[in-house]
Amino acid sequence: MIELKNLAKTFVYDKKQAKAKAKQKKEAIDPREGEGVFHAVKDVSFSVEPGKVLGLLGPNGAGKTTTLRMLSTALQPTEGQILINGQDVTKDRLYASKQIGFLSGKTGLYHRLTVRENVEYFGRMHGMGKQELAERVDEIFTLLDIHSFASKRADDLSTGMTQRASIARAVVHKPKILVFDEPTTGLDVISAKTVLDFIESYRGTDMSVIFSTHHLHEVEQLCDQVCLIDLGETKFFGSTDEFAKVSDNGDLYSSFLKLVNVQQEVA
Amino acid sequence: MWLIYKKELLEMLRDRRTLIISILLPTVIFPLIMFGIGKFSGDKQKEAEDKVIKVAFVEMNNYEPLQRLFTPEKDFELVNIEGSDYKELVLKGEANFIFQGESDLSLPQVSKKTEEIVMHYKRSTSLDRVFYDRVMKVMDAFETNQRLALGKALNISNQNVKAINSPIDIKKENYATKRERTGEIAGFFVAYILIGLAVAGAMYSAMEIGVGEKERGTLETLLLSPIAKRDIVMGKFLVIFTTSFTSIVVTLTSYFVWAMILTFGGKAIGMDFLANISGQDLLLVAALLIPLTAIFASILLACSIYAKNMKEAQALMTPVMLLGFLPVMVTLIPGVSLTWQTAMIPVTNVALAMKDLIKGTVDYNLIAILLVSTLVVAGALLYFVTQFFKKEKVLFRS
Repeated sequence: MIELKNLAKTFVYDKKQAKAKAKQKKEAIDPREGEGVFHAVKDVSFSVEPGKVLGLLGPNGAGKTTTLRMLSTALQPTEGQILINGQDVTKDRLYASKQIGFLSGKTGLYHRLTVRENVEYFGRMHGMGKQELAERVDEIFTLLDIHSFASKRADDLSTGMTQRASIARAVVHKPKILVFDEPTTGLDVISAKTVLDFIESYRGTDMSVIFSTHHLHEVEQLCDQVCLIDLGETKFFGSTDEFAKVSDNGDLYSSFLKLVNVQQEVA
Repeated sequence: MWLIYKKELLEMLRDRRTLIISILLPTVIFPLIMFGIGKFSGDKQKEAEDKVIKVAFVEMNNYEPLQRLFTPEKDFELVNIEGSDYKELVLKGEANFIFQGESDLSLPQVSKKTEEIVMHYKRSTSLDRVFYDRVMKVMDAFETNQRLALGKALNISNQNVKAINSPIDIKKENYATKRERTGEIAGFFVAYILIGLAVAGAMYSAMEIGVGEKERGTLETLLLSPIAKRDIVMGKFLVIFTTSFTSIVVTLTSYFVWAMILTFGGKAIGMDFLANISGQDLLLVAALLIPLTAIFASILLACSIYAKNMKEAQALMTPVMLLGFLPVMVTLIPGVSLTWQTAMIPVTNVALAMKDLIKGTVDYNLIAILLVSTLVVAGALLYFVTQFFKKEKVLFRS
């Protein structure tokens, strides 16, 4: 289980940025702007049980990517806690990285390595032994139907192949928490389906999935829970059904628009 | 760390550009180009030496002894010219050199005074320069003959003529060996080339595995791995160091071997002392390169990690390359030599030591100081890069 408690992240501007922002102020802007600082995430909380898929929603610039970067320990939170199985990972980056598998729209593959070399490289990074790694690679290559192009270099792959290889790379170390940051952005229908089918396959297992997206139909199809972030704060956290009921229409789209600061978006 | 190192190295070796820049260029392509240019210029020089020069004499009937010196065996041709516009005749190529005297021009040995001859010619190209040198060689010989003949006519012995011509003959006894004299200049150029190679060798790989990772989107993936950031930096640093060091060693070895082969052990270019550079000296050169390469690898890795994209990385690295040459220039300042003080100035110390090594006058105690001080600087820079890599502002700079 993963829990985020009152997570916050403040970026301090350097002199050049502060000067530029001071000029902008006249035109008025993001309420998260402070004196020489930007509160990208002010207060985000949610939790995901094993076997559940959580959809992380929010308009552009809401703080989703910053939240996911803190979750993956690439960024250090200014405040708050991230608990994985009760252990605060903000103070233990290495434990977090062993527990989390991360996949974003960007592939994260090394172009001059073959698919197998890419996946094995990340497996070895996670300390997997030779035998264990060979068995795991065989297992996920079968699951994702990768064997036929396992020896191809990453720069020779089609988009769909690349996405499958990226998934294999993200899950090779058997993470208990899977984080997908807009994984279908820029993908064609078939490649996107590969990703969505894979996420679907994790429902009901002992793994928790956090899935950030702008596509509400994907949330409807896959997610048990929804967390909506706007202006760096959690605006909604609950089941997908509860989220749909936020609006009178009972659909996700209307609920989303009702909860986010629409004026801000339009501005 | 070694996992990162091995993977980065594997990727580098699969990149044709790296292989071409690090191995193929210094071992095959550059030596072939140098050999080709050398051969071409040698052939052209010989061609210029063998080419027939047309020489004409005007109003110089008494100068038959001079005319006799321009023989066909020396590839001279005496030609007759018509007209008195000597400039046009030379420019048209009717004659390459026209010697013109007054109608009553006598030989100095007869007139017992200085006689004036006008030499019309054109000297602009390198071929003209070769022609000019060949003609002046003949003229110098004629002048010497005339000097001696004039002395005889004036009853002055050859000894006295020589004394008048050159009252003081300074016999130079320079106790600097040929290796020392040549090494002073050659050492500077070797250091200059080395700094260039150290930076150029590190630059490409630094860009690939620093900002290149940012652009490809693999850096974030790497940061999520359970490997300490310090080990990630060390792995990357070692790859840059390896490629840069290999590039320098391969280039130097290749140039040294080719130079020895093509110049018959340096004899053909008057640098036969090259054969006397010992294996120990060569090992020492390699040892000096280790901290030097480490310094540039650290600085360039820092630039690459800091940059937002390849373009910015190049903009940051170019001044580093230029700044790298400044400490080498310092070695040209008169009086600057390797002392315990200069042994502590990074890059300058290596350049000075290179000079001393080639000259054969190196003080091994100072080399030890140099190695320690440069290693300290390299270590400090590496520590800085490690800390730099931990900064969120650097990693997620936008």
